[in-house]
Amino acid sequence: MTPAIDRGLTGRQPKAVQSALAILETVARVGAGVTAKEVADELGLPPATTYRLLNLLVGEEYLVRLPDLHGFAIGRKAARLTGANGAAPVCTAAREVVADLRGQVRCGVHLVRCTPSTLHCADVDPDHPLQAPELVERHLHASAPGKLLLAEQDDWQEVLSPTRLQRLTERTVVRPADLDRELRETRRRGWAVQGGQVHGDLSCAAVPVRSPAGVLVGALVFTVRGADPAAPAAHARLAEGFALRLGPLLG
Amino acid sequence: MTQRSTAVRLPRRSPVDGLRRHRLGFAEVLAQSVSALAPTAAMVVVPSIVLVEAGAATLPAFVAATALVLLIGWCLTQFGRRMAAVGGTYSYTAKGLGPVGALAGGWALLVGYAAVAMAALGGSALYLAGLLGLEPTPSVVALLGGVVGLLATAFAVRGIRLSARVTLVLEVVSVALVAVVLGALLLVAPGAPGSAASVVDAPGHWGGLAVGIVLGVTAFMGFESAAVLGVEARRPLVAVPRAVLWTPAVAGVLVFAAAVAQVVLLRAAPLDVLTSPVPVAELADRNGLVLLRRLLDLGIAASFFACVTGSTNALGRVLFSMAREEVLPRTLGQTHRRFETPHRALALVLPAVVGVPVVALALGAGPLEVLVGALTVSASGYVVAYVLACLAVPLFLRRIGELTPLPLAGGLVAGAAGLAVLLAALAGAARGDGEVLTAITVAALSPGVAWALWLRWRAPERLRAVGVYDQATASSVLPGSVPAEPPR
Repeated sequence: MTPAIDRGLTGRQPKAVQSALAILETVARVGAGVTAKEVADELGLPPATTYRLLNLLVGEEYLVRLPDLHGFAIGRKAARLTGANGAAPVCTAAREVVADLRGQVRCGVHLVRCTPSTLHCADVDPDHPLQAPELVERHLHASAPGKLLLAEQDDWQEVLSPTRLQRLTERTVVRPADLDRELRETRRRGWAVQGGQVHGDLSCAAVPVRSPAGVLVGALVFTVRGADPAAPAAHARLAEGFALRLGPLLG
Repeated sequence: MTQRSTAVRLPRRSPVDGLRRHRLGFAEVLAQSVSALAPTAAMVVVPSIVLVEAGAATLPAFVAATALVLLIGWCLTQFGRRMAAVGGTYSYTAKGLGPVGALAGGWALLVGYAAVAMAALGGSALYLAGLLGLEPTPSVVALLGGVVGLLATAFAVRGIRLSARVTLVLEVVSVALVAVVLGALLLVAPGAPGSAASVVDAPGHWGGLAVGIVLGVTAFMGFESAAVLGVEARRPLVAVPRAVLWTPAVAGVLVFAAAVAQVVLLRAAPLDVLTSPVPVAELADRNGLVLLRRLLDLGIAASFFACVTGSTNALGRVLFSMAREEVLPRTLGQTHRRFETPHRALALVLPAVVGVPVVALALGAGPLEVLVGALTVSASGYVVAYVLACLAVPLFLRRIGELTPLPLAGGLVAGAAGLAVLLAALAGAARGDGEVLTAITVAALSPGVAWALWLRWRAPERLRAVGVYDQATASSVLPGSVPAEPPR
């Protein structure tokens, strides 16, 4: 990218930014299928300006053109604006399910909430706390729930730039091709594991929690000492039943 | 306005899935367009041809040709900003003119890509033979052409990213080589006006200018081919239109600079240099710059090779689109599991692109004749495809309710100007010694129209899906905002 020369906002640029935000708001309010003409009428903007701003927002993927090419909807990327805070707090019923699971296994059990592009460690095991929840949330390529989230994407590089595959330990996957392979395996298996990729002496498995509509809303994460991913993976089958119970409570 | 209760539903999968999604950066998207345009060949060959026809009007002719191509490019961005296509202008045309117009344009586009790939394959083989010191007999050219074709197809199947990077490097190297050669000649060669000066400085007239524009436009053919990377480009609705505009702009500057250099050089040259096939190479030879001549040959061979790869990539993707629409057999719409390229469509391209020139050579045509013939047919195919796409712009925008005066005027002017260029070229060829070429061109382009009408008459259901593109799916919108179609 070329270094930008800072000339500040000049001329009609502030107005254009305001109009673009107003357009986003209009599409969100009126709902999927609103046409360019309707947006222009609603906002009282000149048609040519509206079409141009709509095309810019579609180009940046905050808006999406529907298959008929004349309707618009809010794009998946807009979900990133809400970040991890977009997830609602975990209800007591869900916490009880997780506590129930903790009573049955002898390792750390955590509940992670997922938005379309972020993670949030919502319920960390009080007896076996995560060493660094922020590493799990930030380094999606290394952590097991992160891999689960990436495997859910059509194209993981839209969520995580391939230049940001940071090396945390010597086992961390840092090559996009290797990550691709792991994600394929994750999709095939249905849940994710990692051994020693976040901390050298910890491995974990993440079992997806899906809403009744099938959307990934969270993950049950097991953490075990040692770098062998087989140890946390042994709990996956047991966790699947709990994940089914959690689905309606989180989605 | 109240909350609408629309019945919008989104499919779960894109109709063109299977290609590697959103991986190409802007440089790689640009490489696709630039390689199909083959700037080196355009810089070395086209200016001298225009000089012979237009004389002193050469430089204005190039400016006008660049302006026309930029206008066409701008029209194509009207589609490129709104839909991520895999079939290039074919898919664009479908959204404005409907299936019959799209198939006529799509066929012309296929002819354009295929013929330029044949020409570039032949050109690459010819220049390679020269570099290797081999006599360019038909069998040698056929053999080298086969090797070049196989290599280009292997790159194309292995992955768009690899072939884009290879072509980008080749183009940068070859343009640099041509710049070095022209620069060195400018230092060494110019002197008093030679016998070619009377042609170079011939007073410009409208007829010469028109022919010059027509020939100048051929230097840009293929500039739009980034439009087949709608799935594979990162942020396609930004990158593709930008590449479609930048390519003719950059190529216009390069070709104009090369034309200026050649006006200076050829003014001082004897007439027979001007009328030789590659005057720049001839000049280098006569000035005893054998090494320069070799460098130039290498640059042109590399650029032609890049052009074969670029055109094959584009051709394969148009065929892939047609197969996904079930206009062509469905098997061509399959993608390679690991490389995620339309390998079957690409494999179909290879025998055609290698076979036609080899058969023509075996039947006794001269290598240079085959090259010029294929280029002429290709340019006509491209222009037909461009004209139809430009005319489709106002209809498309009206259909989606976004028509404004500027695109209306742009589409009509570009379409009319393109049509004028085409008719002028065909009329010029028919008037001169090119009756055979005109006949071949018409024969190459008319099956498209016949094919479209036949399908319309006999199998209209196969036309229903024409115009597929990488449309929005349930996963491209804010989760939960638009329901997905029930699984079939």
